[in-house]
Amino acid sequence: MNAKATCTLLSLAAGMSSACVMADEPRTLTVYTYDSFVAEWGPGPGIKEAFEARCGDCRLEFVALSGGVDLLQRLRLEGGSSAADVVLGLDMNLMAEARALDLLAPHQVDLSPLTLPVDWEDPIFLPYDWGQFAFVYDSEVLPDPPGSFAELLDAPDDLKVIIQDPRTSVTGLGLLLWMKRVYGDEAPAAWEKLNDHVLTVTGGWSQAYFSLFMNGEAPMVLSYSTSPAYHMAVEETERYQAAEFGEGHYLQVETAAMLESSEHPALARDFLDFVLTPGFQRHIPLGNVMYPAIDIGEERPAVFDRLIEPESVTFTPEEVQANRREWIREWLNASTR
Amino acid sequence: MASEALTAGKASPHGRRRLTQLPLWAGLTALAALVGLGLGSLGALLVQAPGISMASLWQEPYLAGVLRFSLWQASLSTLVSLGLAIPVAVALARRRRFAGRRLLLRAMELSLVVPSLIALFGLVAVHGRQGWAAPLWEALTGSQEGYLYGLSGIVLAHVFYNLPLAARLLLQELERAPAAHWRLAAQLGLKRRGIWRTLEWPALKRLLPRLAALVFTLCFTSFAIVMTLGGGPASTTLEVALYQALKFDNDLALAALLALTQLTICLGLWGLALSQGGAPSLAVGDGSAPLGGRWQRRDALGISRLTDTFWLLGLALLLLPPLVAVVVAGLGGLADLAHQASLWPALWRSLVMAAGAGGLALTLGIALIAGHGWLAARGKRLAAGLMEGSGQLILVLPALVLGTGLFLLLRPRLGGGWQGYGLVVLVNGFMALPFVMQVLRGALLGLPMAQRRLADQLDIQGVTRFRWLLWPRLRRPAALAMAYAMTLSLGDFSVIALFGSPSAPTLPMLLYQQLGSYRWQTAAATALILLATVAALFVLLGWLTRRLPRYPLR
Repeated sequence: MNAKATCTLLSLAAGMSSACVMADEPRTLTVYTYDSFVAEWGPGPGIKEAFEARCGDCRLEFVALSGGVDLLQRLRLEGGSSAADVVLGLDMNLMAEARALDLLAPHQVDLSPLTLPVDWEDPIFLPYDWGQFAFVYDSEVLPDPPGSFAELLDAPDDLKVIIQDPRTSVTGLGLLLWMKRVYGDEAPAAWEKLNDHVLTVTGGWSQAYFSLFMNGEAPMVLSYSTSPAYHMAVEETERYQAAEFGEGHYLQVETAAMLESSEHPALARDFLDFVLTPGFQRHIPLGNVMYPAIDIGEERPAVFDRLIEPESVTFTPEEVQANRREWIREWLNASTR
Repeated sequence: MASEALTAGKASPHGRRRLTQLPLWAGLTALAALVGLGLGSLGALLVQAPGISMASLWQEPYLAGVLRFSLWQASLSTLVSLGLAIPVAVALARRRRFAGRRLLLRAMELSLVVPSLIALFGLVAVHGRQGWAAPLWEALTGSQEGYLYGLSGIVLAHVFYNLPLAARLLLQELERAPAAHWRLAAQLGLKRRGIWRTLEWPALKRLLPRLAALVFTLCFTSFAIVMTLGGGPASTTLEVALYQALKFDNDLALAALLALTQLTICLGLWGLALSQGGAPSLAVGDGSAPLGGRWQRRDALGISRLTDTFWLLGLALLLLPPLVAVVVAGLGGLADLAHQASLWPALWRSLVMAAGAGGLALTLGIALIAGHGWLAARGKRLAAGLMEGSGQLILVLPALVLGTGLFLLLRPRLGGGWQGYGLVVLVNGFMALPFVMQVLRGALLGLPMAQRRLADQLDIQGVTRFRWLLWPRLRRPAALAMAYAMTLSLGDFSVIALFGSPSAPTLPMLLYQQLGSYRWQTAAATALILLATVAALFVLLGWLTRRLPRYPLR
């Protein structure tokens, strides 16, 4: 069955009166991304407007999925027949697996404007923002947060933290890698100590942050070092801050990449060129609550100067791909005992 | 539906036979659609999966533990939910007038749809370590540890969701008892025990097996609640393992194995449930008399005043505070929400989709029950059971598997434009079927013998029979069923998240977008709008199908 027939059939089946809009109209760039990116207040609308103004007669169409993992899975399922021209939102820990699919094309963008805390020379994945995982704490309840993992592990048992599950969440996986980077072979023992402080392990970031942390269930939650920027800039409160850990913080870099199968490769390249310009980047700090990938000077909101600036630690994407299952098993063993 | 007196031996003209077979064909069509979609998507996954090793289920300690915990928490949640729902429903049926009864009923309908993240917020605000109930708990037990994290929290949240649903459906079953029975009970001077033995228990017994299967399925497949309140990876359910296999590890074989396991367990349970309970009693109410109405119940006096108060107060304390917490949080965000241009289009989009899903679920539900009735009336119990059981198939199948399977089936293009929405409507409609069928079953199958005979003698069949005989008694249950189905679709995020969407969100998607970007107060306001919409839907549908004096002869 061809695409058009499927489309008509489905609209009929569902009783939708509206005509079926095909994605392959001339000069429409389809970008797969995650849902908070396309929100009304997210970076999506501003970027769409700026890009459409830049390219003239083209249209930018976002398709939103739940998160980076879903993006990867969608690419895997669609293979060479994906409707996407560009995929936006695969982070470092998913890169190796996405690369192995052999569906992505080199970006050919000049990487010199990048201001990441690490060197970046990847020919396929183009960074568009970055941040660090961190424990955000409520300064009204916890005036003296731990200054390192060691202090957190040795804190009295009544200091509780909320973390996320590495099997289902990006931040949870981030913590797993962070602990592994800091403690290496000692990670299982460290996990056993950390678990004394864990109030609960949620499936996703939203449950942890919204349902529990904002309800005051625990004074600390696993989140991003940039989270306080939102509270300071939008809610105008200094109450929530990130704890700076002496061992360094695990880095998260989010990337864009174009698909080999894109029907509009020139337009897709155009878009990737646009990613590292102020027109795109100015929407990142408050829209996505992450650091922009280039220096945007005055346009970076002042609250970003008041965030913690710890050292960054990482594994390479290949190390993550090779060891993730084993490390998750290790964590399960340490946490179900 | 009961067109059972297609009297044997009497030769009917060809066209007439076709008309009386209408329920069968309607049922078969619905069955084909369900089984096609369900098994089709599972099959698509199986084809892609390399080799499946059944043995890993009990040989791998991790999976065995996951399976054990899933079964344990679901059984416990079901037992507690139903065990408490029975006295609550009985008390509600006995007390037909008290201040706040309607409000309580509305709240019971609402609890089903509160998106799990929002329900969690409400539950945590009330039962959490810093919750409203925490000082009381501390005074009682002297412990600061609380009870929300761990198995007790999981069960509490499941009871919060399922007790109101179960009690609401049980109440409906109790209220269907004909006025004549209550008159007789009053004349015989039956007291509490007598009424329970002769009227209440027989009515509840009919529904309980199916209800237990439904609640068990819902608890068995629960995801966010178990993960958030479970406390750690020791509380891992099959759904979580499945998510991990399908999304993070791309292990299709394991995903298919887990899906098959879930399917086997839940369908097995449904099979057991459907084989119990049998056909509903034939002498059920004619539905026209005011329910039980004017007959004074002797058991409504004395000690039962006290116990009923206890149960109803308990229900209110379980149900209302978390909802109030959500409302309070939501009011704070309303001002922000008013500035969001995407709110009203999102609400409208959600309503249209919900109406589609509700209509679909209602149509399919009626068709399946009609087919079931037709077969059962002819003594084909197995086929009848299969037809009814197929309605539960989609709910039992993990949404992730359904979504991935459908995706594989409908490749290459899916997700952009309206196809995605259409598919969501389709899947939502199918998922609501078990709820719809619970509500409709009694009304459709319980046509009194006398009316049925008369209709057969007058040769009223097919659409006419439906319109004039069934619809009058069906309209109110149909409204409730429609409201439940629409509500489920309105609150659904799991399915729509599977297919992705253009940047135009539905209401739950908007809510998750807000949560994903720190706007939790606005999200609470969106949840408030969602709750208000659902409440309005129940009221509106109830009002549209209220009894009008259109059939003066009854």
